[in-house]
Amino acid sequence: MRSGGYLPIRDYAAIGDGRTAALVGRDGAIDWLCLPDLDSPSVFAALLDEDRGGRFVLAPAVPFDAVRRYLPDTNVLETTFTTGEGSVRLTDALTLPTGGLSPYRELARRVDGVSGHVPLSWRVEARFDYGGPSPFVLRGGVPIAARGADALAVLSWDAGTVELDAAGARGVFTTAPGSSSLLVLSAAHQEPLVFSTRNEAEARLRATAERWRDWAAGRAYDGPWRDAVVRSALALKLLVFAPSGAIAAAVTTSLPEEIGGGRNWDYRFSWPRDAAFTLQALLSLGCGREARAFFSWLLHASQLTHPRLHVLYRLDGRTQADETELQLAGYRGSQPVRVGNGAAEQLQLDVYGEVVAAAALFARFAGGLDRDHARRIAEIADLVCDLWHEPDAGIWEVRSEGAHFTQSKMMCAVALDRAADLAEAGHLPANRLERWRAESGRVREFVETRCWSEAQASYTRAAGDDTVDASLLLAVLAGYDEAGSPRLRATVDAVRRELADGALVRRYVGHDGLAGEDGAFVACSFWLAEALARQGRVGEATKLMDELVALGNDVGLYAEEIDPGTGDFLGNFPQGLSHLALINAATAIAGAAR
Amino acid sequence: MIWGAIVGGLLGTVVLTTMLRAASELGWTRMDLPFLLGTAVTADRVRAKAAGYALHFVFGIVFALAYYAVFAVVGRAGLLLGALLGLVHGLFAGTALVNVLLPVVHPRMGTGFDAAGSAPLLEPPGFMLRNYGRQTPLATLVSHIAYGAIVGGFIGLA
Repeated sequence: MRSGGYLPIRDYAAIGDGRTAALVGRDGAIDWLCLPDLDSPSVFAALLDEDRGGRFVLAPAVPFDAVRRYLPDTNVLETTFTTGEGSVRLTDALTLPTGGLSPYRELARRVDGVSGHVPLSWRVEARFDYGGPSPFVLRGGVPIAARGADALAVLSWDAGTVELDAAGARGVFTTAPGSSSLLVLSAAHQEPLVFSTRNEAEARLRATAERWRDWAAGRAYDGPWRDAVVRSALALKLLVFAPSGAIAAAVTTSLPEEIGGGRNWDYRFSWPRDAAFTLQALLSLGCGREARAFFSWLLHASQLTHPRLHVLYRLDGRTQADETELQLAGYRGSQPVRVGNGAAEQLQLDVYGEVVAAAALFARFAGGLDRDHARRIAEIADLVCDLWHEPDAGIWEVRSEGAHFTQSKMMCAVALDRAADLAEAGHLPANRLERWRAESGRVREFVETRCWSEAQASYTRAAGDDTVDASLLLAVLAGYDEAGSPRLRATVDAVRRELADGALVRRYVGHDGLAGEDGAFVACSFWLAEALARQGRVGEATKLMDELVALGNDVGLYAEEIDPGTGDFLGNFPQGLSHLALINAATAIAGAAR
Repeated sequence: MIWGAIVGGLLGTVVLTTMLRAASELGWTRMDLPFLLGTAVTADRVRAKAAGYALHFVFGIVFALAYYAVFAVVGRAGLLLGALLGLVHGLFAGTALVNVLLPVVHPRMGTGFDAAGSAPLLEPPGFMLRNYGRQTPLATLVSHIAYGAIVGGFIGLA
């Protein structure tokens, strides 16, 4: 199952509580968990260093096969181990707090004996602060590890005698049919630990599944691929940082876009770029509360940099994202392991288009914008008038010289058009409406004259370039022009011709200032399906969607990329943009088919 | 002079709380006095924090009045004497008050006498509150010395 100590990325599933998330391997090991929040330093990071990272192992002590699923419509994971001695069922969740005194964060792992007598072993190797030594001490028979303001305790019931060694806390036990054991990791941050009783922890585990089911039941989608859409919604919900409403791009940092390569980035930030995709997905699924929280967070977080938009913000809204490298081995030797993200300082013009488009979506949902939000959106549109002619790093955050990326210019036009539309509808001040329309015309003239290739019969990656780029699909999705316009139809065909590899689509083939190559970008593949649907090519879109939905892992999750040759997942996982694109493609196809 | 004790108690508690909170943010301690006090009256986290802060300030004034009594007996008051009382107060808090007495009266704090029960338990503080982080004794003592100095200073001024 493991090779060199590492599982394939697709062998992980995510659990979470709206504040942090963990990755559970098919073999029962939790190899990634940051505490107390998603963007805090890790306590388990064997995903990035199987030797030093730390993990929570829980598995049969004899050879086994594993089959897993999420309990229907929940983020509670169930893994069934089948061995020669019998079978056991492991239920994993980061529990949601209930009434009463709950731990600051709680990871619950329940083992139920199904058949036979199965020996199991567990081991908790806590490594606070990305692999820092964090020895356990026994206090009152409970193993406790602490470092600075953080601490965790391992509570166990019917899970064997707890022993400590240099690596951590461990135990062995044997299940019987009908037996039940419970291991709880109780974590504290800046406060004393809370030691729950077994009954309380069990009740929280049950309540957690119930609350996820209630949330999923409220999702308004009854079209095709419902399971994939609801799973994607649940995956997105794992990425929503409940204390602020921000949505993280992924649970992890530095899962490589190329095994052994250096394209390893920290995605535990929120990208305003994803704003319009996010609002579109949330609103189409009836997640009005989350949409409102995210839009508020977006405008709140960008207040200090207004009217400029940073490429990314921390989940608590701060802008500092200094990129540093950790002394970890990296997933399958893929170094460096980075925390922070250097792209934060880049100029990426398309972000402005996404944010203004998000405001337009939100205004339609909420019936308008409040006065302060309206003023700020108008000022963002004014800034676009001044900035659009500058070169930028583009949607793919290239680290090479800036360029006049076509999609960036298109999104500037979208920003100005949406702002003008909002002004005409009375949602924005109308005094700059003419300027926005006029400047949009100039952007469009630039795009139509400098960013179109007769040779490719397509818009190009950048002005003066002659290659295509999958980001051009967003011109259809964002409404840069009529979806079925001749140039957009031709561009969609060109992207498919030049960048598709089976069902999967690569981002581009040009230079990006980085060594190595990456795989096919999952979101681009769903964008193609959505673009086809919006152009009325529903049959093609449906066929492509069927193929893409089959490429998720066994529990329906997607990473950022997939290697078209091997089907291996690459990049951070689970990736919000992939799931957003799936939801939006499914709803677009369902809408087009009606 | 009694108003000096009340004002000093309030301001001293503000400073003590701020210092402990800063120490917590710096990763020196997991000590959270309002949380510890508040969970004695309610299991609800939010209400516990609110109640805890209220209790914390009440106790801050009560202790300031005790300081006032000491100053009245010795016949003088001031920063230095206040700081000395603060040191004694901090040592008492770490060795007996929070370490021994609070777990006994706190319905949700674990003690050595607890067996399997039905209530969740808070991690007990241990001698000099070291269970909450190795720097906790230092943070506790320094913040109580500051509290004592402020109380002593205000009583001396009044």
